[in-house]
Amino acid sequence: MRHNMMPERREGPVDPMPKPPTPEEGSGPRRPETGSPDKDNLMKRMRKVDPKQAERYRQRTGE
Amino acid sequence: MRLFGIETEYGITRDDVLEMDPVVESMELVRAYVVASFERRWDYTGEDPHEDARGFRVSGLQQDKEEDEFVKVDAARPFSFHEMKSDLVLPNGARFYNDHTHPEYSSPECRTLRDLVAQDRAGERIVLRAAERRNRVLGGDHVRLYKNNTDFHGHSYGCHDNYLVSRSVPFSDLVAGLVPFLVCRQVIAGAGKVGTEAQESGHVPGLYQLSQRADFMEAELGVDTMHNRPILNTRDEPHADRQKYRRLHLIIGDANMCEYATALKVGTTRLVLDLIERGAAPDLRLDQPVAAVKQLSRDPDFKIAVRLQNGRRLSALEMQECYYESARQTLAGSDEETDWLLKEWEEVLHLLTQDRSQLIGKLDWVTKQWLLETFMREERIGWDDPWLASLDLEYHNVNPEQGLYLGFEAEGKAWRITTDEMIEEAIQNGPSDTRGGLRGLCVQRFPDQIKSIQWEQIQFAGGLRSRTLDMGDLFSPGAVRRCAKLFQQASSPTDALTVWNKERDKQV
Repeated sequence: MRHNMMPERREGPVDPMPKPPTPEEGSGPRRPETGSPDKDNLMKRMRKVDPKQAERYRQRTGE
Repeated sequence: MRLFGIETEYGITRDDVLEMDPVVESMELVRAYVVASFERRWDYTGEDPHEDARGFRVSGLQQDKEEDEFVKVDAARPFSFHEMKSDLVLPNGARFYNDHTHPEYSSPECRTLRDLVAQDRAGERIVLRAAERRNRVLGGDHVRLYKNNTDFHGHSYGCHDNYLVSRSVPFSDLVAGLVPFLVCRQVIAGAGKVGTEAQESGHVPGLYQLSQRADFMEAELGVDTMHNRPILNTRDEPHADRQKYRRLHLIIGDANMCEYATALKVGTTRLVLDLIERGAAPDLRLDQPVAAVKQLSRDPDFKIAVRLQNGRRLSALEMQECYYESARQTLAGSDEETDWLLKEWEEVLHLLTQDRSQLIGKLDWVTKQWLLETFMREERIGWDDPWLASLDLEYHNVNPEQGLYLGFEAEGKAWRITTDEMIEEAIQNGPSDTRGGLRGLCVQRFPDQIKSIQWEQIQFAGGLRSRTLDMGDLFSPGAVRRCAKLFQQASSPTDALTVWNKERDKQV
């Protein structure tokens, strides 16, 4: 099936943080540090995943 | 402000045995969290999944036959029903138990999105700690837990969001206003899934969809939750004063890893309920909502428009924009949380078409898609590679040493609503402005005097007769705090109840 790939991530979000919902609750969502995620670390972690992990994974129907 | 909460059934597996007994493993996992021996205290009298919000009682559920079969198998086990359920109420007011062979964490009732997200994350860490203790007994890192909704073989398990709603709102208004919203909510709240499947049928790789649960939606309305699952569940278990309240029990949602997605999922649903109560929800009733929920899930580029009953055709984003615009016009300025939600909702809808990469770390389906596509480029594989389903699964692994999302978050790249300190606090205490926090306080202060406990009441032993704390209509934050103060200061629950009942009598 044709599927459009997402673009590579830009250098970090640039939008300002929203103001806190209430003063006593501290800040709103905190923006991540700038810079792309460390793809090397994440890719290393992803390569460690057994390709057959999902094939073996069986659950009973829940709600 | 209304109350809400989230129930999450976790996937559980062991890698040191060929065939795992999910009943025993879920039971042992829950019990591993208890330092003392397990004692049965959960009171099931408020639970009856056969009551239907449309005003009748069904004689049977689709799952009853299967449940009967399980009961026969379970009868051969050396455990009673209550031992297998292993229902716990935690010091934060949450319920943690074995539900239908899955460990389930049901958050305490929350009043703010920040509390809700903290409690949802607290659940992840509680099940993880239980797994760590269980693994110590097993002698290795064998138990794995997944905060997802599918096993990629046609078996789904739920993440249900719940809302306290006034009984005065006609259920037909909830249906008309909510069903179209729930069909398109996945553009924000979907957790993303590799491939397609259907109830108890195999996995077909080859595409990426927004939602884990869409494949399992088979009806528009219904009381069932395990088979023939409905977009809008009609179970009528208010866990509150039945004359005044409903508990809206939504089973269509995915389990989110992104804090931001959890906040927007519940927050935007709360806004739509506010619109319905004010008679201001847009009329987007769909011609074929069950087909639409699947079509839209399989359309991450928002090219499909689904047909409304009035003949119009709208994409998922256009439907969301209609709801957003009604909320902005009607609810802006109501309170600070509403204004925050409106701003974020608008921005997300804009970014979904203009620059989706800015939603990485905010929305799960976007984050997962980015991770998978980066991996596919590196490994030169396509969407039909079975490795991707395994990566999809591991995105939801709650072990921070293994999970793909938690690895991403550990790098500081995810948008956070909470801090680790807030999550630790949420493990220890429930929200101070809801009965959930009060329930937890009673568990902390008087654990040995609780005879039975459930969502809307706690029965204390002691003296010649048991005493009951009735919380079926205890929703005012001020009243909750006054009651909690009494239980905090009293030397016994009887003393606290004596003063509390006098105060209530005065109010009446």
